[in-house]
Amino acid sequence: MTLNSVVETDFPEEFVEEMEKSQDVLPKKIDANPENVEKGLAKLVLTLIELIRKLLEKQAMRRVEAGSLSEEEIERVGETLMKLENKMEELKQIFGLEDKELNLNLGPLGDLM
Amino acid sequence: MKLYLYGIIDSSDQVKDSIYGLEGACVYNIPYCDIGAVVSEFTESVQTKTKGSVLAHEQVVERLMEHFTVLPVRFHTVLDGRDGVLSLMQSYYKDFRDNLDRLRNKVEFGIKVIWPSDKIKEQIINTYKEGNKKVLISSDSPNKRFIRKKFERYVINEEFQKRANKYIKVMDIFFSKFAAEKKTEKLKTENLLMDAVYLVEKDKERNFREAFEHVKSARPDFKYLFSGPWPAYNFVILPKNSDLLKDSKQEDLFDKVVQHQELVGAEKI
Repeated sequence: MTLNSVVETDFPEEFVEEMEKSQDVLPKKIDANPENVEKGLAKLVLTLIELIRKLLEKQAMRRVEAGSLSEEEIERVGETLMKLENKMEELKQIFGLEDKELNLNLGPLGDLM
Repeated sequence: MKLYLYGIIDSSDQVKDSIYGLEGACVYNIPYCDIGAVVSEFTESVQTKTKGSVLAHEQVVERLMEHFTVLPVRFHTVLDGRDGVLSLMQSYYKDFRDNLDRLRNKVEFGIKVIWPSDKIKEQIINTYKEGNKKVLISSDSPNKRFIRKKFERYVINEEFQKRANKYIKVMDIFFSKFAAEKKTEKLKTENLLMDAVYLVEKDKERNFREAFEHVKSARPDFKYLFSGPWPAYNFVILPKNSDLLKDSKQEDLFDKVVQHQELVGAEKI
């Protein structure tokens, strides 16, 4: 049995590895069922908080890049972002979640983050 | 009698060649208006993918492609007899017809590119250290040191994304020249720079392949995977509530190919 279609590469193992990695990253659905409903919900909520935190961080970096923050403002933004990051770390530990789990596949729209 | 569906074709005529599908069953066309559903009788209750069954499915679709425009159907689509098939055709006739018209004489090619992400990052970090983009933030407090670190990472990541966009844009110019439609994804992993599928008219297959070879020789430090010609798995557009046909299922396609690499030679997967 032969196929007309071919797949050509000099690096088959590397492509298989990368494709597997890309599929491992995200679940297609939120894993919420009676046994792990708490973790499932925590994951969803923390994913949304993480999204907002990253947006805030990006906005702050843009302002730093533009030079539009005073020394005092940098100090305050730094404190806020650091506290937010530490709090997220605590919450992730409590619910046994890792960074790579805090994301969602939005189908045709791609990944949330 | 259950019927195993391979694909929808743009003809109500019977399949002239003898084609054998899953379980060695004879493949035939069930006509509906001016299109048809290609099926074979099916008895097996086991639903797992096996090497033989996946290959048999793909082989039937490829044989059909020699004579017809084919909308390939998801592996292991089993319908409830002739009535089930006709009911499906009735429900989706317009969508099938539209897709068949759009995909006539076109095939799909897949291109994946791995770039040396570590080296690229290293270059970016070195450039950053040289100070071109440095923003002066004093380090007299933990808060400011935190922001400085974050900013460094931000600048490096932005530049990384910018370079990825640039490379993809350049490669895509060459491929798009001979493609009717495309779907490209950037950086699915840090190494996988581009994962793309292109819909190419059959008479431009050769040009498309040449464009690929050209890109490949222009950037020999990148790694490439070229696959095809495939049925247009990734370009069939159906209503959202239908899970019948493959749409954006390149991973499945890829899995299928990887599973059967030995059939297409040691240098290919």
